[in-house]
Amino acid sequence: MRPLTLWRYEARRAGWAALLGPPIAVALGVSAALANPRPGDATTARILLGALEMAVPLAAGVACASLVGRDPAVELQLAAPTPYRVTLLRRMVVTLGWAAVVAGLTAAVLIATGWWARWPANHGPFAGQLTWVAPTAGLGAVGFAAGAVFRGPAAAGALVTTLWTIQQFFGDLAQRHLPGRLLYLFATTRGAVPGDWTENRLALLGAAAALVALALVVLARSERLIGEEDE
Amino acid sequence: MTSQTARTLGASLRYEFRMQVRKRSVWIVPALTVVLFLLIGGSLLRDLFDPNERKGQPAEARTAVVGLAVQVHALLSIGFGCLLADRLIRDDRLRVAPILDATPARPGARLVGKYLGAGAATAVPILVVYFGFAAAYAVHTDAPQALGWALATCAVVIVPGLLFVAAFALTLPLVMPAPLFRVIFVGYWLWGNVVVPDMMPTLARTLVHPLGGYPLDALLDFHGIDGDDTWAGPVPGATLNFLRPAPTPTTAWLSIAVLLVVAAAALAGGHAVRARRA
Repeated sequence: MRPLTLWRYEARRAGWAALLGPPIAVALGVSAALANPRPGDATTARILLGALEMAVPLAAGVACASLVGRDPAVELQLAAPTPYRVTLLRRMVVTLGWAAVVAGLTAAVLIATGWWARWPANHGPFAGQLTWVAPTAGLGAVGFAAGAVFRGPAAAGALVTTLWTIQQFFGDLAQRHLPGRLLYLFATTRGAVPGDWTENRLALLGAAAALVALALVVLARSERLIGEEDE
Repeated sequence: MTSQTARTLGASLRYEFRMQVRKRSVWIVPALTVVLFLLIGGSLLRDLFDPNERKGQPAEARTAVVGLAVQVHALLSIGFGCLLADRLIRDDRLRVAPILDATPARPGARLVGKYLGAGAATAVPILVVYFGFAAAYAVHTDAPQALGWALATCAVVIVPGLLFVAAFALTLPLVMPAPLFRVIFVGYWLWGNVVVPDMMPTLARTLVHPLGGYPLDALLDFHGIDGDDTWAGPVPGATLNFLRPAPTPTTAWLSIAVLLVVAAAALAGGHAVRARRA
């Protein structure tokens, strides 16, 4: 199979939610920023950056949580020369890659129009891209690992959305201690200690790598994937 | 309702309940939620059990268990909606929908049975968590009336809210992919429940408030754990204030009725979509 055909196929198997999620997330975030009547550019800029740091990772995380358990004849996949976990990893790359394209373009527009610079804690146009890279990778990896462990999108999606909501509802509590601050998803727009930002972003990326490794180990036990889906 | 319809409803309710309550994920997700919540040092237990947190004054039983309900409801409803999102489309995915449609059991009765059965089963762990904490509080502070308040809160706040969520969680995945529903649902839950109304147009604090602002305010006289919050009613300068009448017992019951009517409309819509596709 030619590589392009292969990747197009994997994009289709990743599902409509992976395709539609990130643009819808950005659109809703931008509408929220436009609907905000409070004066002050900083508030509007914060909501715009929030669309990248909160909404895009949520969409990508739930899409990654929905990769395991989608194939109707998983036995065929398991019998193919390509290991099934490599196939699933490809679909995760497609899902996160598309979220990155959407988020990157949005960030470029925000930088060009000056909105990026209006949020004081923006960390510049280059390193600042970790605003969305780190939480997207982190939540995507949580979703992928949860999907591998639970073998179904319902529980994995529920876990991703719950984790996201807990960090939204209890942002202050979650950041009272250093481990909580390091793993806080929204450190750019709701961070408690600005000095922790770089460590926080790197910790999220490290956690993402560890979770993907865990998922690949779990997925290597292919007999778990057959017929035991938690219906 | 004919006896055939009633039997169909009862049977599908029973089986959907049993199927769902045996799913491991229905128990694992709320359990992990509570663990995560305790890990970040959730305010829930401190508010209830730590007198230092309350400036030496332990919260009064009613305030304590109603506050607990708000936190449990706000947090565990997320998993509740996400877990229910695959229940209706599952019949199509497993290709059993045509077989079920070929039986004399009417589709409408089966849908309502699935709604009540799967919804009740998914709510069981949430109620276990809530009443578990409420019972612990009642024993800890020697306040048995806490359990009565917990029952009342459950009836007027948690149950209507969950019925509202369940109706949309079952039917919306008919018209959009289930993962997309999960994303939009969480966004809605935050926007429609906790966003401050003068920040952007929102359904928070209106009659359509699944977190139960009106019943909390007018029926349970709850104004936040510290007694200085309002949960319903008009906000100066906010849009959609026409949906925010002053909180009274009448508007509180009206708010519950609105939630149930909207839920019924969502179910009817889902039924119509399925009937047209069949």
